[in-house]
Amino acid sequence: MIPLIAVLHIENARWHMPRLWIPLILFWIPVILILILLSPFIVIVLLALSLFGGISAWRVITVFWDILCSLPGTNVHVTANGNRIQVRIL
Amino acid sequence: MNENRRQILEMLAAGKITADEAERLLAALESEPAATVGDFNGSIAGSRGWSETPVRTHAKYLRVLVQADETMTGMKGPTTVNVRVPMQLLRAGVRLASLIPPQAQEQLDEALNRHGVPFTVSQIKPENLEELIDHLEDLTVDVDGNDGNATKVRVFCE
Repeated sequence: MIPLIAVLHIENARWHMPRLWIPLILFWIPVILILILLSPFIVIVLLALSLFGGISAWRVITVFWDILCSLPGTNVHVTANGNRIQVRIL
Repeated sequence: MNENRRQILEMLAAGKITADEAERLLAALESEPAATVGDFNGSIAGSRGWSETPVRTHAKYLRVLVQADETMTGMKGPTTVNVRVPMQLLRAGVRLASLIPPQAQEQLDEALNRHGVPFTVSQIKPENLEELIDHLEDLTVDVDGNDGNATKVRVFCE
């Protein structure tokens, strides 16, 4: 399933930001609209890759879709120089 | 709660293992230094009663922990990096290598060999990744810094 929420938390010695729960659906909707607008060009590129590059267009789409759907569960937490940053993808 | 503990409790709730077995497994987890992934033999309730059936736990995440003190980094306070990446993401990423056209793969291999890297791009396959995961146990790398200070890098699956 595509990631739906990202949690961002930043803090340092001076200030403390509350955890931001970012609904990624707000990001996916414009991306989908842009993809729809650019779809003719995308189809041409994929066809060219398929004909001249020997790469299956369907495989390209499935690999990138798999990568996108595998993102939930990613967690990055960095503490350095008194600052803390945490990013979680749910 | 770590992933192994949760799996044990889920199996207990589903009736796949008894409470005694769950207790033994939890105790084994606590005593092992890096018990993350592995096989265990447990009794599983089936239609014909209890039977000894090996149950394999599969790693779901790759964790990378880096700890460096301020003398190593030059920054105020210790530096820690804690990254958890789903295994599914790694498997999907490995499939990216299959998108490279064969002609480009050959050129990449030649370039890598010329620079002394004995590695072929065609070796990057999902089954090789599974083998790597199977062999990847708790790995700790100590990097010696100045004045005897060290940075710890720990890579493990859970």
